[in-house]
Amino acid sequence: MKTLLTLLILTLHFGVFCQTSTELLSKVVSKINTVKDYSVTAKVSANIPMIKILPSQATIYFKQKNKFKVVSKGIVILPKQGFTDINSFLSNSNKHQSLLGDTSIINSVKTLLITVIPNGEGNDIVLAKLWVDYTRFVIMKSQITSISNGTITTTYNYGDKVSFGLPSKMIFEIDVKKFKLPKSVAADINKKKNPTPDDKAKKGTITISLSEYVVNQGINDSVFSK
Amino acid sequence: MLVKNIYNEFIKILSKPRSYLGIGALTILICIIIFAMKVDGNSIVSFVTASFEQTLSFNGKVINGNLIAFIILQMLIVHIPLLVALVTGDLISGEAAMGTIRMLATKPISRTQIVLSKFIAGALYTLFLTIWLGILALGLSHLIFGSGDLIVLNSDGIVILPNNDILWRYGAGFAVAYLSLLTVSSLSICLSTFAENSIGPIVSTMAIIILFTIIGTLDVTVFDTLKPYLFTTHMASWRSYFEDPVPFESIKQSVIILLVHNIIFISVSIIGFNRKDITS
Repeated sequence: MKTLLTLLILTLHFGVFCQTSTELLSKVVSKINTVKDYSVTAKVSANIPMIKILPSQATIYFKQKNKFKVVSKGIVILPKQGFTDINSFLSNSNKHQSLLGDTSIINSVKTLLITVIPNGEGNDIVLAKLWVDYTRFVIMKSQITSISNGTITTTYNYGDKVSFGLPSKMIFEIDVKKFKLPKSVAADINKKKNPTPDDKAKKGTITISLSEYVVNQGINDSVFSK
Repeated sequence: MLVKNIYNEFIKILSKPRSYLGIGALTILICIIIFAMKVDGNSIVSFVTASFEQTLSFNGKVINGNLIAFIILQMLIVHIPLLVALVTGDLISGEAAMGTIRMLATKPISRTQIVLSKFIAGALYTLFLTIWLGILALGLSHLIFGSGDLIVLNSDGIVILPNNDILWRYGAGFAVAYLSLLTVSSLSICLSTFAENSIGPIVSTMAIIILFTIIGTLDVTVFDTLKPYLFTTHMASWRSYFEDPVPFESIKQSVIILLVHNIIFISVSIIGFNRKDITS
């Protein structure tokens, strides 16, 4: 009985690892693609050097393939990358190659690293590292390097919409370059200079808590054109 | 008698066409800024947030009445002293130039009260100008652009203030801005006491403001001890109300310095006018 059980575990284990990166990635993409549209309430908390902002709330609308809209009463700061671009990048398997990497544990979940490299030139994304939960087929962590936005690391948590691959919380870690506004524009001419100016890029985090998902209920295109 | 004289002085201000010149110029300038922001506001804001826009996107109503009002104040607070000095710099020297100062002195009112009534009339005009600025900057901007969170641009970063936390800042900011303009008014009246023509005090006031502002802007250590005592250093203190957290201690210091300047200018004017030979 013990031998049988061990064999079963080994079979399951190898079953997972025998998956190629392409297969695993296609399962992740398939899960993402089950979502035709969604709206969600987002609570955004930004901790970015040189920006002071209180936590704010917004409603995010998404519709396949890449329609995306943020509606909020106040000002909401979001990362430029990380919502739809990775989905559209992964969706076309002809446009990239993937390599399977090591296993690691992220948020107490066993993951497999998949490194995705675009085929040819002309892509904004130059490298994508995805840590994929190989049992639920969802991305637990991603590190996307693009020409326009640098490197953005995102950690995902999942709640009741895990079956759609939709996260309940996303934590973006971004590089913020040195920000310096001319005094003439800022007009705070009497402000003293920072005694220890730091010219290096700094890390900032944006935490987005997502709740009240409405999935595949249909969203009018006019929402995105407003 | 003082109240009656203040009333008379205020009537005199209102009867001068130059008093309306400032109000008219202010109205046109604000309308031009609002028009420019309506037409090309996005590119102006993008120019400022460009440093962040590579990695971040600012969603929501970024261009709104609060931001426009802030931009208007930031742009005009440098120029309004000229509009104030244009009227207040003439209050005593204008009387001297026209020869009416002797008639004024024959009234049953002390010279100190004459100077005080002119100061108060000038202060009322400055208050009216500040309120008009507030109505146009805040009221008209809100009417056209609506309200929203305010992005404040500082040389070392961005502060985003929620809509419900802004109005009191404007109220307090306008109060400090008024005190700054009152200092300009006091300075020009003080200079007016010693002049015999209208142009001299107006030009001198502007020259002093420009000189002090340049000294304040220069990053030269030799002026570091002088800068905190220049009233121009504290003229932009209204802006501190739009920081987070609000530096109340520094605002308090600015208010004290501006008040001290006002007291000095008024005292010098009173002494100067009491000693002034108006018989020649």
